[in-house]
Amino acid sequence: MADGRVIDGTPAVRVATGSKSHGRGQELLRVANEADTSVTTAAVGSVGHVGLEPLVMATVDGKTAFYSRPSTERMETIATTLEEETAPAGGAMAVVEHDPATPVLPTPETGPLSVGSRRVLGGCGWLTPTNVDEYTDLRDDLFTDRAKDDPESVRTAVMQSDLRGRGRGDASTDTSIAAEWTTVYETSDDPLVVVNGNEADDHADGDRLLLESAPLTVVDAALSSAIALRATDVVIYLSETETIAYERVQEAASALDAVTDTGIPIRVVTGPDEYTAGEPTMALEAIEGNHRIEARRQPPGPSEYGVNGRPTLIHTPRTFAQIGALLAGNGSSGASSDPGTRLITVADDDSTLATTELSTDATLDAALSAVELENGWHGACVGGVFGGMTRSLDVPASAPGLRSAHLGTNGVVELLGESTCMVALVGERATFAKETNCGRCVPCREGTKQLVYILRRVYDGEYKSEILRELARVMRTTSLCGFGRDASRPITTAMEEFETEFAAHAKGHCPTGICNQS
Amino acid sequence: MSTDPIWEQSHNEPEVPLAEDIAPGTANDPDAGATERATITIDGQRVETEAGATLLDACQTIETSGDVLALCSYDENAKIGPRSECRTCMVETERHGVVPSCSFPPRDGMTVHTDTERAREARDVNLDLLLSNHNLLCTTCGKNGRCELQDVSIENNVVDPRYGVMHDRDQLGPIDDSSPFIQIDRNKCILCNRCVEACNDVQVEGVLRMEGSGDDTRIGFQNGAETMMESTCVSCGHCATVCPTGALLEQGLVDATTLPVPGFTHKNSAEEIVGREYDHQPTQRTPMKSELETQNEPQASEQFTTARADRS
Ligand code: SF4
Ligand code: SF4
Ligand code: SF4
Ligand code: FES
Repeated sequence: MADGRVIDGTPAVRVATGSKSHGRGQELLRVANEADTSVTTAAVGSVGHVGLEPLVMATVDGKTAFYSRPSTERMETIATTLEEETAPAGGAMAVVEHDPATPVLPTPETGPLSVGSRRVLGGCGWLTPTNVDEYTDLRDDLFTDRAKDDPESVRTAVMQSDLRGRGRGDASTDTSIAAEWTTVYETSDDPLVVVNGNEADDHADGDRLLLESAPLTVVDAALSSAIALRATDVVIYLSETETIAYERVQEAASALDAVTDTGIPIRVVTGPDEYTAGEPTMALEAIEGNHRIEARRQPPGPSEYGVNGRPTLIHTPRTFAQIGALLAGNGSSGASSDPGTRLITVADDDSTLATTELSTDATLDAALSAVELENGWHGACVGGVFGGMTRSLDVPASAPGLRSAHLGTNGVVELLGESTCMVALVGERATFAKETNCGRCVPCREGTKQLVYILRRVYDGEYKSEILRELARVMRTTSLCGFGRDASRPITTAMEEFETEFAAHAKGHCPTGICNQS
Repeated sequence: MSTDPIWEQSHNEPEVPLAEDIAPGTANDPDAGATERATITIDGQRVETEAGATLLDACQTIETSGDVLALCSYDENAKIGPRSECRTCMVETERHGVVPSCSFPPRDGMTVHTDTERAREARDVNLDLLLSNHNLLCTTCGKNGRCELQDVSIENNVVDPRYGVMHDRDQLGPIDDSSPFIQIDRNKCILCNRCVEACNDVQVEGVLRMEGSGDDTRIGFQNGAETMMESTCVSCGHCATVCPTGALLEQGLVDATTLPVPGFTHKNSAEEIVGREYDHQPTQRTPMKSELETQNEPQASEQFTTARADRS
């Protein structure tokens, strides 16, 4: 039985998956349905812990048991035992007692699922992603309805906040979003709102999680922002490979439109699955339908000259989720310099493990308890593909905290095992930058080539650290877009934190042995 | 089953492409420059600027302390630039840090320095980066003596570019010598986009475009042709007029200013020449518009069009 509100269902089975384990999740759901019981079943989005998924949750009368990646037989047992109103305790990774009507994922006191807050992730993995009725259980009203009644209140709530943009795809990355809001509002020449959800950075999972698990939160926040700013269009921009997010966002948008009837069209547009295509001005180019995507010159930025020259508010799903938390009045949270929370995805050398939500006044190492590490780590790359290399995660999860530690803010902690060679790794990142930049400006197009050459020469015994630092500095201060500004971060931070490894390579010795092979 | 009189098929007029069919492959940049007049201070000197002015315009009205090179900027036609790609025009502002003067708007009360450590370093490094990707063989180059890259390199006292220059023959791409009017040597191209804008925005011919990305970024043809001769070029020559370097040259000028080094010419400076199969006849012409086809499929799934009439 798969109809109705899963929130009210008891007993109920939820199968939570992100896109990575979606196929397996579907299979488990089919097994649960075929057991032909009176149990309510539902496919829900990821809870964030993609490494544990499919995650099956069996609920009876305010008590939920969690099973990570159960076998087909186990799934059958869970469904049939539930029929008798009990959840099998054996094999459950956690059992939680909770308010039977909770709209927020109940979490245990300990273990990976207990990590972080769920201020923006609340309904992820618990509510049917596109069900407006369940979504409204999270609070009293829809942001969109509030904006219709009182646009001023939405506007001032945001403009008087100190909220900063989240993620590299935001026009206000790490800076106050109030400034962009004010410009868009004051330019007032037929503005438009863009949700930039095209994040091709493999490990940066925060936007994907929100779009797949809580698309209504994102769309509701975007639509209410549009009303508050008198915008006449909402465009949700995704990578062409995100099929699940695409479907759910479409469905969420039409469901929300049906009940709010704002008259503001919401369109879902997909662009190339390329790292550059997520840069805000390149997102605008893709949305306009350009056949070749390169960054746009600024100033003026998107808030004055965006899609087709119209003033455009462009935020990531992560930022819209923070706007949602702000409008919901979930209380103040985090560091005063960067209020709210930050989604941090922990990954290891080859897989993405879990996305957790940290208050901006927590430190990054808090996210580590969300994963079970088989091996140790001797360093981490923080902030995505162009993140900063560090040995310590005792760094605040706020934008100013991360920046002053020279780390990236794109919400990724990639743990590097003992066998990772830092010199080889930053070489890979430089090569990626050289091969994928848009080609427009000299510091990035030519600078990345030189980064690669100069790094290669380290292997010939020539370690020119000053030349590298100078080049990195000029790329950072003079590149036309965020891509080139960030591209040298892995190198400069690795040179600071792992200087001995560079020196060793210049002497023909790779401490991990990786570079000596072949 | 054509019943057209024969002369109706014989016309030679190129069809003029519609402006919306032109696909230069470049971004939809906003207008550069200030929206209002301003009074700013550059190197301690007061400068009044008009609406539409850039910081570079302001710098050019005075004697600045540092040499603001501004290689890719182009003054003579407002329809061209600022591309703002070479980043050799960087100056330091107190509020916004190091900015490209060619496109940055002066704002009232702004304080600008042209000769700070950071601004100078930025210009020097970026100029050297340009040279690192340049076949710097001025002696056999048709632009020798009237080349903007050469000028700024001399102005900036470049002696020994930090990243070297592109001279390994295997790094060089072929010269396109197919057209009897214009020769293309991409080994000398700085990707300033002037030619693309001259072709599309001034002449409205829709021949040239920017193509590729990263390492493979280059000027190319909107009909996908490999050579100038197979493009829809009408040989107006505007691209060669605006080109700051020896990348686009009128055929008559290819060897005009080169120093006579025995046995060493521009053509043999590169690995390969394409277009030798064309004998240059004065009547020869490119297919021009007759085979016009563009390759401008949008990258996005669904083009977002917002003609105002569509919306209510
Ligand atoms: S920084 Fe890189 S990606 Fe950005 S405009 Fe310049 S070349 Fe393109
Ligand atoms: S274009 Fe020709 S003259 Fe100008 S710098 Fe290059 S080689 Fe020298
Ligand atoms: S060919 Fe000349 S005008 Fe065209 S982009 Fe290259 S350098 Fe600029
Ligand atoms: S002149 Fe300003 S970037 Fe080239």
